[in-house]
Amino acid sequence: MTTPAITVRQLRKTYSYGRRAPGWRGILSSETVTLDAVAGVDFEVARGERVAIIGPNGAGKSTTLKMLSGVLEPTGGSAEVLGLTPWRARQALAYRIGVVFGQRSQLWAELPARDSFRLLRRVYDQEAASFERRLGELTERFGLAEILNQPVGRMSLGQRMRCEITASLLHGPELLFLDEPTIGLDVTAKAAIRDFVRDHARDHGQTVLLTSHDTRDIELVCERVIVVNRGRIVVDQPTDQLRKRFLGRKVITLQSAGAAIAVDLPGVTTRPSQAHTTILEVDTRQVRVEQVIAAALAAGGIEDVTIEDPPMEEVIHDIYAAVG
Amino acid sequence: MTSTPLSVEAVRAPSFARTLAAMGAALRVGVGQTAAAWPVLGGRCLFYALIMVVLSALWDRVAAERVAGAIAVPGDLAVYVGVTEWITLSIPALHLKLEDEIRGGLLEPHLLRPKPYFALAFAQGFGAALVRLAALGVTGLVLLEVSGRAAPPPSALGFILVLGLLGVACGMLLYALAGLMAFWARRTLPFQLVIQKLMFLMGGLFAPVSLYPGWLRQASEASPFAAHLYWAGAQAIAPSAAMFARGLAWQVAWIVLLTLACLALWRAGLAKVLRRGGV
Repeated sequence: MTTPAITVRQLRKTYSYGRRAPGWRGILSSETVTLDAVAGVDFEVARGERVAIIGPNGAGKSTTLKMLSGVLEPTGGSAEVLGLTPWRARQALAYRIGVVFGQRSQLWAELPARDSFRLLRRVYDQEAASFERRLGELTERFGLAEILNQPVGRMSLGQRMRCEITASLLHGPELLFLDEPTIGLDVTAKAAIRDFVRDHARDHGQTVLLTSHDTRDIELVCERVIVVNRGRIVVDQPTDQLRKRFLGRKVITLQSAGAAIAVDLPGVTTRPSQAHTTILEVDTRQVRVEQVIAAALAAGGIEDVTIEDPPMEEVIHDIYAAVG
Repeated sequence: MTSTPLSVEAVRAPSFARTLAAMGAALRVGVGQTAAAWPVLGGRCLFYALIMVVLSALWDRVAAERVAGAIAVPGDLAVYVGVTEWITLSIPALHLKLEDEIRGGLLEPHLLRPKPYFALAFAQGFGAALVRLAALGVTGLVLLEVSGRAAPPPSALGFILVLGLLGVACGMLLYALAGLMAFWARRTLPFQLVIQKLMFLMGGLFAPVSLYPGWLRQASEASPFAAHLYWAGAQAIAPSAAMFARGLAWQVAWIVLLTLACLALWRAGLAKVLRRGGV
């Protein structure tokens, strides 16, 4: 039997901080407040598997990722990543994992991307030939040729994120951690990144552990979803099953010059909204999005249409409601 | 895209050599960045020329009017000041970079790499300092030529170059100590100010420490602040191989001690970040 890429047993992280009382009393005394960011989680990730960890803000997703990548020591429990204990073998593990924080750059903002990549070759002790080959492949696949000589600080968010992911893959990691990789990107950039991460991982047998607020990241990249809330795992199941139960919804917002637009179709619910705005919740298992749009257009007077996934908070809420 | 087997290349070189190679790459990045920002570098040289015109006029007046009283000032103080300012203006703001990255929670991406962040940050800063030393050095030599002052002998210029390079390293390590305090302090400015003031007094930026009373001179000469500035400057007013050897010994000693102090602070701060996450 193959050893899992990640094994986590009763992993816990408790933060504690001093909270001062208001006014003069606060000068003299403070109480220690503890917060269980991760409250004893157990899971395994097989080699080559692509897994998403989702949950609302403060659920413990990023804390889990930080502990598994070795930059945060747990309060209790154990974890093995590629056979190593991450927080005890941080630097040895660094050669074998790639990490992308969507909200933090790992590149040198003032340097052209190419210079950052060259520096990373030395940082990861890569032989020049294999490094150049890998950079060439990633440059072609990600369409980076035109921006390689541009300082990272002057790139658009989408360009920067493509460079971040390239940087995380240049040393050929076996495991990729992605923390909100598509946050703030436009639809095209998100699609490019999702396709790339999925295809690259599939082609190279790479394990992926991803956190995101965007349900499309999860649906399009990952085979399995772990839902966490308040530091605990509430659901751990294949994405297909989760999609059938919870992700079959879209939210369509219609802007109109006149009164609210009525769409009378099975699986379509009208949400309360403001004047000139109609918000429809669509159950895509009962009705297709294009049918709803067609019906709305037939009603006339539409000025603008937006189609969105329901916010992650709502999906999570549905999941909690279903699992009790 | 073709399929590439994912494997970490076997690395035979010892870890220290690999770290040195990475530091070399970071140093080249620092050189490249600073050279690329040549308008900023030009402005720095212009500023150096401006303050040297003012300070040399002041010290010439001091010498001419005997304002320093009975103190015998050997050599040309303007050249001494030129050397100390050459070093001072070459120092990159490593402490501010450290403070920004530590306080801004930007360390994590660096900690996910197999090479020590502090070593790479120092090397990158030193690369920047090398370019500034070169540009300001050329500016200083041009000023010396234009002013018609007597230049130090060639051997002293060689000593100044070596002591200047090591002086920059001492100064960067001193300021790095202030920057690393960001792990515990809200702002590192107070630490930076203390170092700056001591640099001014004990480092000989105010006046050569050879002019100080005996006990203060001895204390200053033994300080890391003199290792940063004074020993290189001293070659401009009283060049000698013996002074060079003395200064070199103090500089090497302080570089070792300050490096150990920085590493101790870094490890303590890192342990805090790994335990608590962020600052």
